[in-house]
Amino acid sequence: MGALSKFEIGGVLARQGILIAFVLFMIAFTIANQRFLDPDNILGVIRSSAILGVMALGVTFVVISGNLDLSVGSMMSFSTIVVLDLHDKIGPALAIPAMFIMTLALGALIGFLVGYLKLNSLIVTLGMLSAIHGLTLTYSGGKNMDIADKAGTWFSVFGQGSILGIPVPILIFALLAAVLGTMLAKTPFGRKVYAVGGNGVAATFSGIRRARVVFMCYLLSSFCVATAGLIQASRSLGSQNTVGQGLELEVLAAVILGGASLMGGSGTIFKTVIGVLILGFIQNGLLLVGLQFYAQYVVTWIIIILAVWLDIAAKRGRLWSPIA
Amino acid sequence: MKIRNALVVTTAVGTLAVAGAASAETYKIGITQNNVGVDSYQTTYEQAFIAAADANENVETVVLDAGGDVARQIAQMEDLIQQEVDAIIIWPTNGEAVIPAVRKAHSAGIPVIVTNSNIAEPGFEFVASFSGPDNITQGARSAEIMCDKFKEMGIDGEAKIVQISGQPGYTTAIERQKGFDDRLPEVCPDVELVETQPGDWNREKSQKVMEAFLVKYDDIDGVYAGDDNMGVGALNAAKAAGRDGIIFVGATNFAVGYEAMEKGEYWGSIYQSPVDDAEAALQTAIDVLDGKDVPFLNYFDTPKITQDNMSEYTKPVF
Repeated sequence: MGALSKFEIGGVLARQGILIAFVLFMIAFTIANQRFLDPDNILGVIRSSAILGVMALGVTFVVISGNLDLSVGSMMSFSTIVVLDLHDKIGPALAIPAMFIMTLALGALIGFLVGYLKLNSLIVTLGMLSAIHGLTLTYSGGKNMDIADKAGTWFSVFGQGSILGIPVPILIFALLAAVLGTMLAKTPFGRKVYAVGGNGVAATFSGIRRARVVFMCYLLSSFCVATAGLIQASRSLGSQNTVGQGLELEVLAAVILGGASLMGGSGTIFKTVIGVLILGFIQNGLLLVGLQFYAQYVVTWIIIILAVWLDIAAKRGRLWSPIA
Repeated sequence: MKIRNALVVTTAVGTLAVAGAASAETYKIGITQNNVGVDSYQTTYEQAFIAAADANENVETVVLDAGGDVARQIAQMEDLIQQEVDAIIIWPTNGEAVIPAVRKAHSAGIPVIVTNSNIAEPGFEFVASFSGPDNITQGARSAEIMCDKFKEMGIDGEAKIVQISGQPGYTTAIERQKGFDDRLPEVCPDVELVETQPGDWNREKSQKVMEAFLVKYDDIDGVYAGDDNMGVGALNAAKAAGRDGIIFVGATNFAVGYEAMEKGEYWGSIYQSPVDDAEAALQTAIDVLDGKDVPFLNYFDTPKITQDNMSEYTKPVF
């Protein structure tokens, strides 16, 4: 190792490269536009990110267990459309649990196919992406779904309400992140998820029922998706059929940005949250800077690559690390 | 003129080809749509198209949907050519990328009718006719609605507006933006358009964009959105931020826009019926196959709708 490549970064910082990247971007955007740090803006961005964030929490489990979930975007559209439709038919108090059950059933199906039939998760969830989209369209007849009486329903509390000045979507996101973060880091189930993704064969020999762990991860993911759908539906009280389209890639980007390995076995909820916030603040920051929008796609990508690089560099303790 | 002549020749050849058959022969018309289900407009369009085709016993249709995917649409064009349909109606997913496929159909002697949003100009010579709304006029009319309202309020000398445009690269989005951008300074030279960002025809995206605008600009008097879906997203953002008194003008009046107008929160839009759109497309295809002299651009009228005259229009079903 030459002197240049041995660029040492402090031991504490080494594990938090993504956090350093996050702080750097926040400073840069603030310099570009003072209003970036406006409390209303910060709360607004986190509230918008909460939907993506809640979905990313569940996908973190799936990715750590060594699988992928590309179906979350269209599954979220499904949840949103179903809960909006049922709201006017059977009332919100029944519509919400009914929607959760339907969404969990989809998660269980994926979990069964990947866990118990041992099918490739990429193929299964890519197929489910289309299949669930078709299911949503069949259900709605392709029409936009809108709640008739928008002013007179308490259903709006999940997306538009706030407690002590903090928007409810942020509270839901924070609560879920705390619960799932603890579950992943402190419980036997969490350790099994890491074991299954890290070394499946060793996990089996340790007596872990891998199929069941994988199944549970997909069930958790669909629970998160249903929660995201609830927030989305409540936020706009009406929706297009494609509301979640393309979100699966943003979710995956946030999870990977947070440092979870696509090979499984690593990642944390905390880092996923940072990944989600980075994506949210990039989008918002570029809008505030007023960059021409074709350029925004390019700049977004550059920032993501920079963040991943900083994270990796911090882990390795050096900036320059060629393959081989 | 050259284009027009080429069209006449094409149409004449087409007429000769079918002239030999009995006049009661059925036409087999294929359609490849942009993205059914992405919004209620496209869904209603498809239903109206199928209904109109069913009602005409001389027409048999092959109804396809590209799901917003250019590659899939090109493959569907090729399928329709293989099936030797008499005419192809295409709702382009992308005005540029589908040109080679349109040319291929043209070379195979199948007249192509473009519906809803036109393909780019280099492809015009391969197209028998375009049927749809005039999006440039729509953008211009939205600018007039906005300007008239500002004049009524007496703020046309100082008003500042933002624009939320449709999906980048989509012809309808580009044309509406152009119509609006060009017309506004003509009617209201002192109104300033401070920024334009895309909302991708998506209500949630548009809400996010508007949230950023509200943080960035203290003074926003008007919002022009490329359709009502995005307009209502922007309206939601303004309501959540407690910013009152902003004039919202959209295009393609959706039910949500119509309802917001009823409540007095949303000022105006452009009334465009997907049923008219679908029926015009089918009729244009039949006219072309019948050998009638069809103009290259077949626009159906899309009038202005505001809180003042909305009682003359029924609430859109989409």
